[in-house]
Amino acid sequence: MQLADSALPIGSGAHSFGLETLVAEELLDAETLDCFLRGYLQETGILEAAFCRAAYREAAAGWAELNQRLSARKPAQESRAASLTLGRRLLQLFVALEGGEEPGGDWHYATAFGYVSRRLCIEEDLAAAVFLQQTVSTLVSACQRLMPLGQQRAARLLWDLKPFVLETARASRGVDPDSVGSFTPVVEIASMRHVVLAMRLFIS
Amino acid sequence: MQHTSGHLALHFEYNSQMARTIVKVNEQRQPLKVVRAFELEGGGALVHVHNLSGGVLAGDRLALNIDVAPRAQAQVTSTGATRVYRSRAGAAAAEFSVHVRVGEHALVEYLPDALIPFAGSRYRQETVVDLENSAGLFWWETVAPGRAARGELFAYDSLRLGIELRACGVPIAIDRSDLDPAARPVRSPARLGPYSYFASFYICRAGAGESTWRHLENELLDLAGRLESPVIIWGLSRLPAHGLVVRAMSHNSRDIAAGLVSFWRVAKRSLYGQDAVIPRKIY
Repeated sequence: MQLADSALPIGSGAHSFGLETLVAEELLDAETLDCFLRGYLQETGILEAAFCRAAYREAAAGWAELNQRLSARKPAQESRAASLTLGRRLLQLFVALEGGEEPGGDWHYATAFGYVSRRLCIEEDLAAAVFLQQTVSTLVSACQRLMPLGQQRAARLLWDLKPFVLETARASRGVDPDSVGSFTPVVEIASMRHVVLAMRLFIS
Repeated sequence: MQHTSGHLALHFEYNSQMARTIVKVNEQRQPLKVVRAFELEGGGALVHVHNLSGGVLAGDRLALNIDVAPRAQAQVTSTGATRVYRSRAGAAAAEFSVHVRVGEHALVEYLPDALIPFAGSRYRQETVVDLENSAGLFWWETVAPGRAARGELFAYDSLRLGIELRACGVPIAIDRSDLDPAARPVRSPARLGPYSYFASFYICRAGAGESTWRHLENELLDLAGRLESPVIIWGLSRLPAHGLVVRAMSHNSRDIAAGLVSFWRVAKRSLYGQDAVIPRKIY
């Protein structure tokens, strides 16, 4: 439960992963947000959940390559850097709370989540679902600062998305992350264009 | 219906005595064919890949291998848009695999015209590019929504596109799209939004340093700003290493084609100190 809390102190609230640009360029608003998040889960969600599960199962020898391959799947530098930053902070928090040593190397948020879940003996399906719930919560939280989206409407949005989150988590089960397609050019281009936005609230 | 299994294997080699790149066709099995090579300024060689079928038919298995030896410069293009024809019910998806190996200090420019998946078509394309140390790549791809002039938008059955770029054995860009418009609307606000066409342009040179990419990124950002219009948006970003990617979404193909050439010109001048030699058939 604590891992899925948006207040987890890893800095996810500072990132919009391109949503700030989408809103600024009028490609996303409160009316289209539900449709956006469902599409996002079908593409990026299933990809990252597959990597989360792979990290859950992967032996130490494969960690570096797994994270390298996820980096290669992220064409937008800001979103890639954000994912790596959150991954590093999640591992640091985990070590601070549980002790032991960090696994070393670069870790994305999705893979770090899988690794931490395994270490905490959280069941794999649950880990994938919690990861996706956390991802969606982060995006909705960003949207609350970017568009007229009140707390009740945000809560309703997240509530209605739960079956879809679970369905996406199920769909990622047993999937080779290298075979997963992910088609979100509008999000990737928005993340690439974030650097030239005149005014920015978020790091990414 | 008999399916076609076409294969084209091209080898580009630099001849230091002639100071130019020589092309050898190691294998060509229809419908893929190369008629001749054209010498380019700067010592490179241009080939047009013909598809004698006029397009990709259901069940086709096509393979293109491009091997570029050290110091050679290869430019490969199509003779026109790649049309992917409607598949019959139950027919296998058409497949096209491309494998490119680029030797040390060699360069490949892979610049095909747009891919047009017709209504009812099923198509899979997989590209792998291996860059050795100091090898370079300019690779673009534009995908149309269908025969737009007929009002045919996203009426294909499925379109699976994959590319993996590796530099010195390490993956620097992996892009896999699995489009199924009936199940997952392509114009969703998380996919193409209001746009119809999309394009990617990879600009790589293995081993080029941080300052090279920082400088080029700034140049291309400036260009992207100047190319901005109500019908097209551009984005660009540095890859984890060794390169950049430029992406575009547009309401038409014309602005994408013209814009890609502009990015190519700036990048080639910056990375190689050479002018981009435009394949003469289309521009």
